Amino acid sequence: MNIDSTLEFLAHTPLAMAISQGAMAFPMLECIHVVAIAGVVGTITIVDLRLLGYRSHRRGVRQLIADVLPYTWGAFGLALLAGALLFISNAPKYAHNTEFQMKMLLIVAAAINMALFHLTIYRRVGEWDERSPPPTAARIAGATSLGLWLTVVFLGRWVGFTL
Amino acid sequence: MNMQSVGEWIYGTALSSTIRDNFWVVPVVQSFHIIAIAVVVGSALVTELRIAGVVAPDESMSVVARRYLPWMWRALAVLLVTGLIMLIGEPDRTLTNTPFWIKMALVVMAVLASLGLRRPLLRPLSEASKPPAKALAWILLALWVAVIFCGRWIAYSN
Repeated sequence: MNIDSTLEFLAHTPLAMAISQGAMAFPMLECIHVVAIAGVVGTITIVDLRLLGYRSHRRGVRQLIADVLPYTWGAFGLALLAGALLFISNAPKYAHNTEFQMKMLLIVAAAINMALFHLTIYRRVGEWDERSPPPTAARIAGATSLGLWLTVVFLGRWVGFTL
Repeated sequence: MNMQSVGEWIYGTALSSTIRDNFWVVPVVQSFHIIAIAVVVGSALVTELRIAGVVAPDESMSVVARRYLPWMWRALAVLLVTGLIMLIGEPDRTLTNTPFWIKMALVVMAVLASLGLRRPLLRPLSEASKPPAKALAWILLALWVAVIFCGRWIAYSN
């Protein structure tokens, strides 16, 4: 079974057919997707800006991340779920859309950036928790995250115009 | 003069045809619109969850409001400008559109509630003053979610 037949199979599952043929399902999933994206970008921006040296409601980076990141993850899970359902409704077309492919790549890049941040400079957060601006490595991680997520929003919107 | 003729007049202006003739304007403006929505949602989420006692209950409400309310006003200004560009480019898509007008009514409610109820938090609460109602914090968050739903629904209603 190659990728294209898998995508066709996905788009013909009863769930995918219900989404693509129902009057309400697709727009409702889009609404949920946009709310979730606003949650992801809105909260991750708070952390990214703090990593760049902008003040937040918390002095310490560790405390700020503990306050905000659970909501980023919750919203990301919702965006992923709604996004996956939107995807299967027209799987072959989305999969072959350049903007969609780039969007997925940048989300993976954002995940790698976050993993690197947590595995390196964040391990020593005790040394710079309350310092502003934080060390260069943390500032780079914040700028990279912000740039990637804003580009993801742009690419996502372009998918709607190029599909 | 009804909305339809207002829309036709806007459609005929040079600015409106310039927006339509440059295919990239609408998607780019929409992307900025969504990013500004994210800033409003992020600001409202932390502020309202603080008031609801869920996030950072050990931090004072005025510190939280002072950090996030200015960002909300800036993002709302971006939303107004980008929204106007979309309206001028495609007036027929908005002015006679029911979800659009419901969205506008909800935006006015959410902005007035934020101005009236949240701006006073910028000054530290005195000992005597009552803390803001927690239920209202949840209602305000629900209001912003409803605004997003109506906004997305504009594309599906005529």
